[in-house]
Amino acid sequence: MLRALFLALALAAAPGQVLSQPKLRVVATSADLKSLAEAVGGARIEVENLAAPEQDPHAVEVKPAQVARLRGAALLIRVGLDHEPWLSKLKLPPGVVVLNASQNVRLIQTQTPRLRVERRAHVHAYGNTHYWLDPANAVSITAAVRDALTKLSPQDARFFEANRDAFVDALTRKIEDWKKALAPFRGAKMVVVHDSWSYFAEAFGLQVVAAAEPHPGVPPSPAELAALFQRMREAGVKVVISDPHSNPSLVRQIAARTRAHPVTLSSSGHDYIRLFDDNVSRLIAALKQAGP
Amino acid sequence: MTELLLWPFVAGLVLTAVHAWFGLHVLARGVVFVDLSLAQVAALGLTVAILAGHGVQSEAGYWYALAFALGGAVLFALVRAFERSIQQEAVIGIVYAVSASLGVLVLDRAPQGAEHVKQLLIGSILTVTPEEVALLGALYACIGLVHAAFRRGLVEVSFDPQQAAARGRRVFVWDMVFYGSFALVVTSSVRIAGVLLVFAYLIVPAALAGLFTSGLGRRLLLAWTLGASLTAAGLYASWEWDLPTGPAIVSAFGAATALVGLGFALRRLSVRALGKVMLAATALAGLLLVAFPRMDQPWLDALESIAPPVQTVFLTEHERATRADMLESIGRAAAELARLRELEQDVRWGRREMDAEKAERMRQYIAGRSEISAGEQLVLRSLRDKARGRQRLMLGLPLLLVGAAGFYLVSVKGARGARRQG
Repeated sequence: MLRALFLALALAAAPGQVLSQPKLRVVATSADLKSLAEAVGGARIEVENLAAPEQDPHAVEVKPAQVARLRGAALLIRVGLDHEPWLSKLKLPPGVVVLNASQNVRLIQTQTPRLRVERRAHVHAYGNTHYWLDPANAVSITAAVRDALTKLSPQDARFFEANRDAFVDALTRKIEDWKKALAPFRGAKMVVVHDSWSYFAEAFGLQVVAAAEPHPGVPPSPAELAALFQRMREAGVKVVISDPHSNPSLVRQIAARTRAHPVTLSSSGHDYIRLFDDNVSRLIAALKQAGP
Repeated sequence: MTELLLWPFVAGLVLTAVHAWFGLHVLARGVVFVDLSLAQVAALGLTVAILAGHGVQSEAGYWYALAFALGGAVLFALVRAFERSIQQEAVIGIVYAVSASLGVLVLDRAPQGAEHVKQLLIGSILTVTPEEVALLGALYACIGLVHAAFRRGLVEVSFDPQQAAARGRRVFVWDMVFYGSFALVVTSSVRIAGVLLVFAYLIVPAALAGLFTSGLGRRLLLAWTLGASLTAAGLYASWEWDLPTGPAIVSAFGAATALVGLGFALRRLSVRALGKVMLAATALAGLLLVAFPRMDQPWLDALESIAPPVQTVFLTEHERATRADMLESIGRAAAELARLRELEQDVRWGRREMDAEKAERMRQYIAGRSEISAGEQLVLRSLRDKARGRQRLMLGLPLLLVGAAGFYLVSVKGARGARRQG
């Protein structure tokens, strides 16, 4: 009975696929996931990202055209955890396959702040969400994307496999380059404005010691800031990392009071490998300027 | 403390000096929200500058914002002539809503600016630099001089426009001077202090001063005093209780307003009316406790934290022992966790050495211990809920009866007494 049903469904679906070979329509919530999906899907898919890389990923206002495109999509790739609270407001059409990219990566900072007994520098309830900033995680993300695409379009399985292998090869070589470039600064202590750089730091042997603005959008209190400055001066922190949307006045103040060198890194970009190229070279420039 | 709070305080003084003066004018003109509206127009100007490719902190951004705000000022000055046909407040509200929406539309084309504009509206008075304060002070000194030189005309047009017109003053020109300088002030202040704080500086001292004295000079002096002392109070609270600075100052202004309002209300209220309010509140609290014993009862929580027996007499011997155990364990854990967190921070910042494995063990211990503490808090909560179930009849019902009976007696007796007297 069940088999008959499947057969009927397969027969109904087959002619369209064989005749026109339309591109698979994929929607990714972030530009990085779009870049990774394109690396696997190549010309067989058409990807659109909902959040622009310059945008604060936690607060996105979705436009009607995007909702329409989401309706027509075969696959939605999302960062997951609680990174996109706005996504739950969109009613997903029942046919869309949702790939939660966080499912196969190793997460850090997963302890949950259950009762707010004390103020903690911790916003994310299910672990730090910026896991794509460890390039090694892209290996498992692209594997998940390959599997999802293969399920949707089995005849392209080999194509996806080859694309993904090529990407992982290129990425592995790049990771070695980045690690080599950052090796002289191993163990360097850095302060971040928002806690998006823990994965990146862990991947390259750097150390994020504190976040200046633990709750995004809520400015730190004077006592918190005073304690931070004190610690930074004592420990001789050389670099403070801000995001493009960080409060410039806060960054300036930290730099002025502690002699830490400010550097703005992007946590999201249209080209995954270029994103790391840029961030690594900018960070190295700042570390060099800050001196030994 | 002074290292971080000196310049925010000086900035607060500069803001008080100029905004209290403008606040008196704004209140006299009855255009309370003009400041929010102009600030929103200035923010729209800034977003257009971002769209045109200028940075948020760039000078071009400031000039765009100022140009837009001046445009708004011209509009408000023009509208005043037609006050009979359309209220100024209506125009101000429309300008606010439309420019806020236009700002969203523009930002949609330039997403990198969204966060910055939001930050602009929140402000960052804590991280103000001495240069910014000096620049602001110099600018406001100039504006102050201009206003002092032309004060007669400005005051007349704000406080008594009919007479000003009768005397042959050109109201539109004077309005232009007022709104023009106001646009300049708002654009510059909001950059540093944010919309909410600027609004508080503008309205609260001037409004409170109006309650206590008459005469422009005395009001201005009182407003300055209030503004300066409330700034100090807000900064102190922000330091002492670990609060974000701008919102803390705004809350200090709000608390002062509430206190003054309460004082005025109490002076008007007779003893009997006060008694009726208290008895009604008692009855309502009792009723809520009887009807919904599981809902949050903040007054009872507060009472129990001051006088624990209010809860413990409703617990059994065994429950009381559990409660004491939990409290002791939570207290011990809090002290231990604080110590370990400090140690963890020291290790993290490199002040103390610890090998990675031990550090990880400590991290896991901290996580586990705080989970246990959270569990203990839940036990306390369930004990409290048990007590609430018993308090429902033994405490809630008496409160309800006493409150209701008292209220009834006071009202009926009061009415009879009034009739007898009449």
